[in-house]
Amino acid sequence: MIEITLEVNGVTKTLSVEPRRLLADVLRQEFNLCGVHIGCAHGACGCCTVHQDGTPRLSCLTFAVQCDGASIRTVESLGGPTAEHSLQQAFRSEHGLQCGYCTPGFLMTLVPFVDEMVEIGRRPDDEEIREAMSGNICRCTGYHGIVAAVRKAIDDGLGEGSVA
Amino acid sequence: MRPATFEYHRATSLEHALQLLGEFGEEARPIAGGQSLVPMMNFRLARPGHLVDINRLPLNAIEIVGSMLRIGALTRHGAYFDHPLIARHFPAFLDAVHYIGHPTIRRNGSIGGSISHADPTAELPAVAVLHDADIVVRSAAEERRIKASEFFVSAYVTALEPGEMVVAVEFPIPPAASAGSFVEMSERSGDFATASVGIVLEHEGGRIAKAAMVCSGAGLVPIRAPDVESHLLNRALNDPHAEEAGRIFAASIDPVDDHIASAAYRRSLIAELTRRAIETACSRALGRS
Amino acid sequence: MKAGRPRHIGARVQRFEDIRLLSGSARYIDDVRLPDMLHLMFVRSDTAHARIRSVDTSALSDLEFPTWVFTGKDTAGLSMKAHQDYPEMQYSEQPLLAEDRVRFVGEPVAVVLAEDAYKAEDAAEHIFVDYEPLPVVGTMEQARDAAIPPLFDGWKSNVIVQRQMKGGDLEAAKAAAAHVVKRTYRTQRQAGVPMEGRGVVARYDHSDRVLTVWSSTQMPHLVRTYISEELGLPESRIRVVAPDVGGGFGVKGQVYADEVLIAWVAMKTGRPVKWIEDRREHLIASIHARDHEHTLEAYVSADGRLLGLKADITVDNGAYSTFPFTSAGEPGMVGKVLPGPYDFHAYEATFRAVATNKCAIGTYRGVARPSAVFSQERLMDDIATELGMDPFEFRLKNIIREFPYRNVLGFTYDAGSYAESLERMRKLLAEDVAQAAASHGSRTKRIGVGIACFIEQTAHGTPDFTRRRVPIETGYIAARVEMSPDGEVTIDLGLQNHGQGLETTMAQVAADALGVQPENVYVRHGDTLTTPYSVGTWGSRGGPLGGGAVHIAASRIADKLRAIAAHLLQARPDEIELADGLASVRDNPGRHIKISRLARIALRNVDQLPEGMAPGLEAQFSLDGPRDGTYSNAVHAAVVEIDVPTGKMKLRRFVVIEDCGTILNPLVVDGQVRGGVVQGIGSAMFEHFIYDGECQPLTTSFADYLMPLAPEIPNIEVHHIETPTPLTPLGAKGLGEGGAIGPAAAIANAVSNALGVNVSATPLNGNAIWNLSRHLRDAS
Repeated sequence: MIEITLEVNGVTKTLSVEPRRLLADVLRQEFNLCGVHIGCAHGACGCCTVHQDGTPRLSCLTFAVQCDGASIRTVESLGGPTAEHSLQQAFRSEHGLQCGYCTPGFLMTLVPFVDEMVEIGRRPDDEEIREAMSGNICRCTGYHGIVAAVRKAIDDGLGEGSVA
Repeated sequence: MRPATFEYHRATSLEHALQLLGEFGEEARPIAGGQSLVPMMNFRLARPGHLVDINRLPLNAIEIVGSMLRIGALTRHGAYFDHPLIARHFPAFLDAVHYIGHPTIRRNGSIGGSISHADPTAELPAVAVLHDADIVVRSAAEERRIKASEFFVSAYVTALEPGEMVVAVEFPIPPAASAGSFVEMSERSGDFATASVGIVLEHEGGRIAKAAMVCSGAGLVPIRAPDVESHLLNRALNDPHAEEAGRIFAASIDPVDDHIASAAYRRSLIAELTRRAIETACSRALGRS
Repeated sequence: MKAGRPRHIGARVQRFEDIRLLSGSARYIDDVRLPDMLHLMFVRSDTAHARIRSVDTSALSDLEFPTWVFTGKDTAGLSMKAHQDYPEMQYSEQPLLAEDRVRFVGEPVAVVLAEDAYKAEDAAEHIFVDYEPLPVVGTMEQARDAAIPPLFDGWKSNVIVQRQMKGGDLEAAKAAAAHVVKRTYRTQRQAGVPMEGRGVVARYDHSDRVLTVWSSTQMPHLVRTYISEELGLPESRIRVVAPDVGGGFGVKGQVYADEVLIAWVAMKTGRPVKWIEDRREHLIASIHARDHEHTLEAYVSADGRLLGLKADITVDNGAYSTFPFTSAGEPGMVGKVLPGPYDFHAYEATFRAVATNKCAIGTYRGVARPSAVFSQERLMDDIATELGMDPFEFRLKNIIREFPYRNVLGFTYDAGSYAESLERMRKLLAEDVAQAAASHGSRTKRIGVGIACFIEQTAHGTPDFTRRRVPIETGYIAARVEMSPDGEVTIDLGLQNHGQGLETTMAQVAADALGVQPENVYVRHGDTLTTPYSVGTWGSRGGPLGGGAVHIAASRIADKLRAIAAHLLQARPDEIELADGLASVRDNPGRHIKISRLARIALRNVDQLPEGMAPGLEAQFSLDGPRDGTYSNAVHAAVVEIDVPTGKMKLRRFVVIEDCGTILNPLVVDGQVRGGVVQGIGSAMFEHFIYDGECQPLTTSFADYLMPLAPEIPNIEVHHIETPTPLTPLGAKGLGEGGAIGPAAAIANAVSNALGVNVSATPLNGNAIWNLSRHLRDAS
């Protein structure tokens, strides 16, 4: 067992963990963050994506011990229990989710992409949006609504009359 | 699908990492991004007794050292996209990076990890073989430089000895009058390649002065094409006989036949990708791209 | 509809369940955690066909933590039984744990439990099974070879069942035919793969004798019934809960041996038990789908009229029969639906399921129809080509135009928009057809356009299952609606919601009937403790039957509200309108009373009720499907672009025109269609579950089993025609599966059009397209 300290969504805990514990399991079991979903446990579906020090990372390919001292963000941190984040709202209005299982992983993958586009003032074409989500599998929506949601969140972020 | 038990060691310096790897020998594996190793561990296909975490070591520089571009083992794939040295000197490398996995994998996977994993269809091993790169490996006792063509022994098998790890990959910087390209075919974007082909060429007076070609997907390691390389010598950039080169390359290989693709399909793909890679590189050399 | 003009049905209402799903507040099966819980790990066969010589568990005692282990000897006599009562059918039972013989790689042989999932996996590595390999039955051909011994003792052959369906005079049709077109079509083995795998948690309370089972299932009541029958417990003391379910697609629309087994283990150990399926287990051992071969022979007149169709259908079922649709379900469905939307009068189908050493075939979105429509619609194009006719022309010449239509097998189709949707699609594709034709001189880049025209029998009623003698037995959906004293509404729904938007659409239906807002309606589902007995969510029945049941139950409450309002407002009940939270007198909207006030009177201030009226505001209704179901129809179109030298195919366009009758919520309908289409694109181009010659599975991870990713998929264009059916209360037809039915056929037809070749099999991956375009490369 190894002692580590994690700051997750603003909560800091020091835990004693077995080295082989996946970050996904520690977030789910020790931090009670059920929004972290495991879809494949081999890094091929994106369901378990979280942010480690601001960067999207697959929590099924990460050992919690590797994250000692790191800052982790999960879907619960985005818009709270009523899902107020603009990308969450766009997912809802554009029907970017159905069963919801892959959804936290898509959100955590795409929030930095949307933020970056808004920051540099660019509206990406659908091909680029699709590439940004190419590591995430959704089996329900056919991606159509997710692409529309990303488009909308970027549009909302840029506001009217911004750069094309 | 959870890993077997192992002991975890966080290396605080390169020397510390090498000491740990030396101490535990075959039982130990370094871990960087974990994008290849951890899936194998979750399936329990890999079960190292000791993991040496090298993520906090300062091994992520991309720098010119003498006549070489040295890329630290921990450099993440995403770092190449905006890197001026890669864009300027290594167009085939830059092409290849676009085919690696997906954004999250590119942000976390490292060159040392990809090279050490030695997946027969992975992009960076092919690029290393294409460029005659040196794989710089260290153990507690010594540093070795292994030619990429000798580093990859078989699928997932390398020349690394117990106690050694890759610390950098060094690419000879091509002369100014050079060009390259890398093309790949896979079922879906980001998948491992069904086949891929890369080329770098040097040119003089509108003609090819030197060429290197590589393909992956045809064998257990990336394969160079000496026959094609000599075929291309002195060809005009605007008429490089690319199709013929493709035929020569395809005839020289004996691709695997498996549930993903037939040998005949792979051979045909390599012929066509060879043609496309040569034409793109020549076109770039002519400044048309 | 009695409630007057709908206000909420048909509106693009954003889904209520989304808040929970988007915020990370949803709770799926792996989120069920109980004190003292044990984690279960399966030991599964790594051999496709073998006798079990021994199962050695002695090494478990070397472990430093406690374990519990059970083998087939412990569960002897417990099994999954899924039979149809036909004399032609050979019965197979899957033991909960294999006792003396394994029949596919992945079959459970033992279970081991520990107090942690990681440790349970460690423990499983300490169990050693000694197998004596037996020859495998690996292909349809081997299964039909009488010389190869059957997989089950007492069987005569490996043909599980072979039957026939026929109608009309096929010999006469053949005699009258100017053209006979015979083709064989093959659709590959696939897996449904919801993003959440399956999982089961069970707890047995010995003092109350109550068994609680949480399962990621589409059919909690059927799980309860099967467990009750197999373990001998009263259904009253079994509670099955389906929590949030991360996709089902039919994969979770079966009762599995593990659901029964884990309940049994919880009873045996006295501890709560949890099993979360991992992805490899899911791929090799949940259920597979498709794996069909159809040989069709069409008889066509000189002027292009379809006179008759003969079909020979084989499904590679794998080893066992799944509950409740059985191994006869898949081939029987093909035989039943092949007549499709076309008007012809002679038909004969011979269909069979054969047993091989593979994972069982079960229901996956579309159930047999993606394969049936692939063959049917490839055949239509092949006939059109042979006759030199345009594919639209040929279809329009044979399409059914008058309704109700009684087909060659005696099934009655309610009204649809078959010809209209074909005509509309032809207009939408005109430019693509021209571009395709212009590309057909090229030897390097080809464009192709293909369509698939099909109908889908949805919301089948009990008679359909009785005819098939299938253990599902019935198809009704129940809803209980209750208004509380504050005027808020609760629906306890027999459907299980796993992405279909039922928490929203059912609220829309109730809101219209009761004159409240959808936000005032809370939909609960998935728990046998609170919901009325139903068959669950499958077979495209949620909208038509669930919606219908909610509508009828809510309307009964509305009738009572009107009666109370009439009494208080001194009007006749039929003069009362319920809308916007008010009960008003028609033509005199000034006279009104709040619906919430009526609710309070009905439940608390009952002294104000009309004399003799009983208190209470609740109603329950169970709605069975129509005898022959109700038929949705659609036309799908694919426009493909093929890079001939590499076989790389790009979808330029995918267009759907669909008719599912009354649309409850267009947001949800479009989402269901698009999601289904992309699964169908997966079937057409990428997904293939592959076994080698020894029946070892080769595609056991997401690196090998390739589902569509976003970059390969275009935006999916969806157009609607609404032909409400008189057969369901709201005029709705089913639509959950339709999206997945057409793409394989449409894409294959597009490839055929692009390359000018017959396309007889899927998946159309790079290698397949390269094989099909050889003639273009060889000539160049």
